[in-house]
Amino acid sequence: MIIALISRALAVSAVLVLVATEVNFAAPPPALAPARILQLALDAPRLVDYEGTKVVTALRGGRVETITVAESHKRPDSIRLEYLSPEDLAGRLIVDNGAVTWHYEPRLNMAFEGPTLEGGVLSRDLTMLLRNYRVSALGVEDVIGRQAYVIGLDPIRRGVRRQLWVDRATGTVLRSEERDPSRGVILSTYFSRISFSLNQPEAYFQFRKPAGARLFKMFATEAGSMSPAALQARVRFAVLIPPVLPEGYTFRGGALSRFGSLESVYLRYSNGGNLISFFEAPAGSIGWPSAGQRTTVEGQPARLVDLGYFRVLIWEQRGLRVTAVGTVPTETLLTVAGHIAAGREQALVQDVSTMIQSDPTTVRKLRGEGLTFPEVARTIVLSQRLGTDLPTTVRFVRGSLTATDLAGKLGMRPEALQKMVEQAAGDIKGVPALKHPR
Amino acid sequence: MRLNHHRVGHLLSPYLDGELLPKEAVAVQEHLLECAACREVYDRLRATKALLGELPVAEPPAEFWTAVRAPRGFRFPLTARLPLRWPALRRRVAWVAAAGIVLLALALAPLIKGSLDRLHAAEIGVDLFVREHALQMSTQPLTDRAFLGVVAGDSDLVLVGEPARPGETAP
Repeated sequence: MIIALISRALAVSAVLVLVATEVNFAAPPPALAPARILQLALDAPRLVDYEGTKVVTALRGGRVETITVAESHKRPDSIRLEYLSPEDLAGRLIVDNGAVTWHYEPRLNMAFEGPTLEGGVLSRDLTMLLRNYRVSALGVEDVIGRQAYVIGLDPIRRGVRRQLWVDRATGTVLRSEERDPSRGVILSTYFSRISFSLNQPEAYFQFRKPAGARLFKMFATEAGSMSPAALQARVRFAVLIPPVLPEGYTFRGGALSRFGSLESVYLRYSNGGNLISFFEAPAGSIGWPSAGQRTTVEGQPARLVDLGYFRVLIWEQRGLRVTAVGTVPTETLLTVAGHIAAGREQALVQDVSTMIQSDPTTVRKLRGEGLTFPEVARTIVLSQRLGTDLPTTVRFVRGSLTATDLAGKLGMRPEALQKMVEQAAGDIKGVPALKHPR
Repeated sequence: MRLNHHRVGHLLSPYLDGELLPKEAVAVQEHLLECAACREVYDRLRATKALLGELPVAEPPAEFWTAVRAPRGFRFPLTARLPLRWPALRRRVAWVAAAGIVLLALALAPLIKGSLDRLHAAEIGVDLFVREHALQMSTQPLTDRAFLGVVAGDSDLVLVGEPARPGETAP
């Protein structure tokens, strides 16, 4: 009897020990703030090398396509991509050493040399992302046998939602998903296999042109960044600056783009996670696309080309061909284009300067730096309230200066600054803003 | 040895891992003492590194090395040969004619090139702009490079007059 009781007690203890061990194995990782996890993901390429097989599923021209690619990364900013499938893409090779990208197409024995695809790796910044996206921790999941933090990035305004699976041990993004509010998932990626710490040779990230291959140098856009005002001095046509954009998008740079005889002005706007590009060229210098659907912008014929992940809208106004490219919803692209095509620049300069009691010259100067009218109004009002100079205020409004840094400079508490910013936003409500279609 | 921001940006990670040559490490150290911006980046990297787990040094998998292969399908251009059995006079006439054609071509080149460029630009459509947009998307921190490689690569082909995918009609 005693022996039976002892053996039962032992059995129960063994089960308890096993359960405890199991519980210990399944213990959740220490909680990390979502912004910290995002920072881990942004810093990871600078810290780890990896080699893996990635599966990309994307919407291309209305149909879903699955692409398999062997991806190798060497810190901080070198990448090698060998496409394995589908069959028509198999063999494509992209090698990027952080300064130049080479693209080799074996079926044509053609090589292309162009700007790097890794341009942003060394200057990845959270400020704009945190300003325009709500970052939330969604738990921990297993991805190919590795524990991964799951975080969601929801745009504060309408736009593409992202979900990332960030490797707990290395910070590498093992899986990602982008979801368009109107069409569901538009891009998903995941590693089906990955190895870290390989110490890959430099030579693997240098391209050697195969014998007989034709090499095309494809540096169409000038390096560096120019303001719209500086670009205006370089071209013979009037550079159009978007009067309004979806809230959160701000000017990130301008350049001249040249391809053959086609010269266009390129302006780009970003919200930290996505980009809207505007290309402006004389109307006669480029063909009207045969693809896409017919639409109108301010009553004028326009063409919308839906490439799946990217949408392209083309229209003409006053002898210029304007092309907008972005991942924003079609309605947003059409609304932005409508504001540009309305051609009310001078009237808006007068209206806004009257509304915020500023001189039109200042408004025009800030427009020449690429600011939208709501940004111009916010900059001038904040500069007046805070006593800051215009360049500093522009940096703050554009997100390259954080609220904490500005508050520190001014010797005030960040909460007090936040309150002043909110008050200023209330005072400029009359300034035209983009009405988001629902 | 003096280093600029860009170079230090590349060396911070190996510096953290003690992988630099002594003179490089000293130069990075000196730069960090002088430069607050790089010091901030260094501190952030060090904090991140502290959070990351200990990683085992792994041998590359066998399939990794099989992936390192020479591109297939090399083709060598065909060499053309001029017949050398022509009589001397006919050959001289041919040379004069050839020289004339070359001179004419040189004179007309700018005009022809301008017209061809315009014709080409008229055929480009949206591919140039999609390519430039895709390349700039790489500055956005969360963009997937493998996907951008597909978009930019397809546009490269279209811009030199090839179909993006075999079987498709050329633009």
